[in-house]
Amino acid sequence: MNKLATYLIPLALFLGLCVFLFKGLYSDPTIRESEVLAKPFPVFELPDLQNERLIHTNEIFTGKVTLINVWGVWCITCAIELPYLTALSGQGLKVVGLYYDQDIDPDFGIKTLSRVRQEVAQMTAKYGNPFAFNIFDIYRDTSLDLGVTGAPETFLVDQNGVIRVHHLGDINPRIWRLKFSPVLSEIAPALEANIAAMNQSITGQPVIAEQGEGGE
Amino acid sequence: MNKFVLVLILFWALNAFAQESVQAAKSTTQEPLTQEYAENYVFADPKQRKIFLNLTAELRCPKCQNQNIADSDAPIAHDMRRKVYQLMQEGKNKAEVIDWMKQRYGNFVYYKPPVNAVTIWLWLLPVLFAIVMLMFFLRRRKPEDDHNIDAKIAQADKMLKDD
Repeated sequence: MNKLATYLIPLALFLGLCVFLFKGLYSDPTIRESEVLAKPFPVFELPDLQNERLIHTNEIFTGKVTLINVWGVWCITCAIELPYLTALSGQGLKVVGLYYDQDIDPDFGIKTLSRVRQEVAQMTAKYGNPFAFNIFDIYRDTSLDLGVTGAPETFLVDQNGVIRVHHLGDINPRIWRLKFSPVLSEIAPALEANIAAMNQSITGQPVIAEQGEGGE
Repeated sequence: MNKFVLVLILFWALNAFAQESVQAAKSTTQEPLTQEYAENYVFADPKQRKIFLNLTAELRCPKCQNQNIADSDAPIAHDMRRKVYQLMQEGKNKAEVIDWMKQRYGNFVYYKPPVNAVTIWLWLLPVLFAIVMLMFFLRRRKPEDDHNIDAKIAQADKMLKDD
């Protein structure tokens, strides 16, 4: 019995190590827990992208569930998700863009504001415009406060201005069902029912190609 | 016991080698880059500049794997360097800047992991392992030796008798 144990213990340790390392092969090193979940949206006071005199504050969240989409025209994945976001806003979801531009770097400052506006108009004309309005995060301070690491990133903010979902990467029906649907059905069940029905009708079809035509 | 000593020496040599190569890597790649980036920012006090270089070397870029924000050219690393500078200009000290970053990007953002109930095992496990192995070896040695001596005496007795 004792002798058997001297063989079995190393074997068990070895197998345990194998399982641990094997799992490591398939783990995603980029997955991290968001620090802003269940916290109020960071305080901000930023101009509208299309009209610099219009200043947006945290009051935009009061009373309505808001989807904040961090994006920019330079970001290809953002263009890919625009049609689906447009479909979402078509169901009555309030989608607000938190726009940031890479080329307006405070250190360099190359692109003019009118040029940015023109590019945004071109892109939304081509792929769809889901945005009620765009907040212009000029120096990307709000993005930093949100723990944004790139674009696109999307936040679901509830009626009280509390962040409920933080998603990195594009949004599509699968991601919606997985991450957004459980939360939205809790805070706005009627709206989620509409979106679920829409998702039902577009699954099984190539979502991106199908929706690309229907942009506003 | 000889083997044990040999293994110890080997470990020591490996460790020394690793440290040397890490230092070599630091002096060739990290330093010039941090210096270069720091040129964009003006510090009245050279001490502040040193803290800035230190911070950008110890804060980790959340977008790219295993690069500090001094080393990385990702847009987020640019933004974070600028933010570090801005926070320092506002009068925040090193710990406060690190806390600011941790609040937004988690413990991931700082290269020194916090010691807590989960991470303490990173330090404890190797020590525990060494202790267990040492006990295992010490226990195994003794009875075997005794047994061998008894057997040898018995054998010698037998040989004497046979003679």
